[in-house]
Amino acid sequence: MKTTALFLLLATLALGAEAPATPAADCCKEKPAAKKDACCEEKPAPKPDACCAAMEAATFSKGSIYQSEVTFTDDTGKTVALGSLRGRPVVLDLFFASCGYACPLTVTDMLAIQERLPAELRSQAVFVLVSFDTVRDTTEVLAKYRAQRGLDGQWIVLRGGDDAVRELAALLGVKYKLEADGMFSHSNVITLLNREGEIVHQRQGLKGGIDEAVTALTAARPE
Amino acid sequence: MTTSSLLRLGALALGLMAGAVLSGSALPAGMVVIPAGTYAPLLRTTKDAAQVPVAAFLLDELPVTNADFLAFVTANPKWRRSQVSGLFADSSYLEHWTGDLEPGAKAPPGAPVVRVSWFAARAYARWAGKRLPVTAEWELAAGAGYTQADGRADEALKRDLYAWLARPVPAVLADATTARPNFHGARGLHGLVWEWVDDFNTAMVTGESRGDTGLERDLFCGAGAVGAKDTTDYAAFMRGALRSSLQAKNTTTALGFRCARNLP
Repeated sequence: MKTTALFLLLATLALGAEAPATPAADCCKEKPAAKKDACCEEKPAPKPDACCAAMEAATFSKGSIYQSEVTFTDDTGKTVALGSLRGRPVVLDLFFASCGYACPLTVTDMLAIQERLPAELRSQAVFVLVSFDTVRDTTEVLAKYRAQRGLDGQWIVLRGGDDAVRELAALLGVKYKLEADGMFSHSNVITLLNREGEIVHQRQGLKGGIDEAVTALTAARPE
Repeated sequence: MTTSSLLRLGALALGLMAGAVLSGSALPAGMVVIPAGTYAPLLRTTKDAAQVPVAAFLLDELPVTNADFLAFVTANPKWRRSQVSGLFADSSYLEHWTGDLEPGAKAPPGAPVVRVSWFAARAYARWAGKRLPVTAEWELAAGAGYTQADGRADEALKRDLYAWLARPVPAVLADATTARPNFHGARGLHGLVWEWVDDFNTAMVTGESRGDTGLERDLFCGAGAVGAKDTTDYAAFMRGALRSSLQAKNTTTALGFRCARNLP
């Protein structure tokens, strides 16, 4: 027992981990440099752990946002890597639960997209909401939001650390800013990903574009 | 409580205190302390305070150099020019380097590294056990003059800054150590290269300037409230304009970065 604990401690120290916010799947990230001046010699590649090996085994396409190694937590507390969405068409939106203006409209539009998808595609598609609000949108708040909006099992509601949310926003070209009153200013964008995690369409703004989104997602199906 | 346990407690307390003093005095090499202060955002909403408090933090004295970045790409092959994913860097990433592991004549070891994307800068910072500064931190540090904490009153700094803005980017950038240190000891925040900040994608501007006066309300939730309060700081406007025009994978001939860290 003690040996295991010691081993874990040593392993942690060896990785030089500065207690990452979301430990799972942080494994493949750039490890802090062991020595700044480990210069000339080619260092042998560090032995990848199981998680890292799994991540590297999954080689994503050049345009796939799943190349990003950030992870999130869903409204049941489960860790979700973006890459785990691979194989399913994705309708994705960044939001925050206390948003009183655009986000509820955007979620309504996503529900409309869900309804209008051809039945087979609808059963495969996944609808993903990721919160900007890293502080107030806890798993409990997100679970409540799911219930309030009647989001079924096709929906995944996620929260993440500042780092993860900012990286995802950067990948999607979404801008956002926490205002002094605790609300977020943010781009209104629904992003559609194909099965590889490549962006196939973005609905900008708040009006219309539902049919275009349905068409784009339908067209993204593999032959 | 027994005497020995009291003694042990005392020893523990002393040890903790010694640790605190030590960590307070031992600065990481190459970093300077930027004392707590306030940042006055150039563009802010009607609800925003004019002054944003910024906690004290550590900032790299110099921008990350070609030599630094070479160590990073050597240790992390996926960030080498030939291997980097197009998702994380555009096609001009490290274009001026001779090869994957040879910066070459156009990228002297001591000059700031440029043509690096936000993703690459962030990955470097993570590897170095640091992070990128946020806009408020960067602007607070860069707001200092050469000889005083408030750079707005420093004529020498303003002269150098505007002279730099008027000069084209040189084909080969100068060694970062040639930059004069500011009041906090940081060099080259102005006058060498532009620098990435972690939250560059907070700047909400769309399309061309004439269309931006109201910002398209449907594109940005809350955007109707964003507007400029102080139009006198031209250089800060340029930095804001640059940040808002960038995508995270973009690289340019004059855009580098430096790292920050929380105070222990």
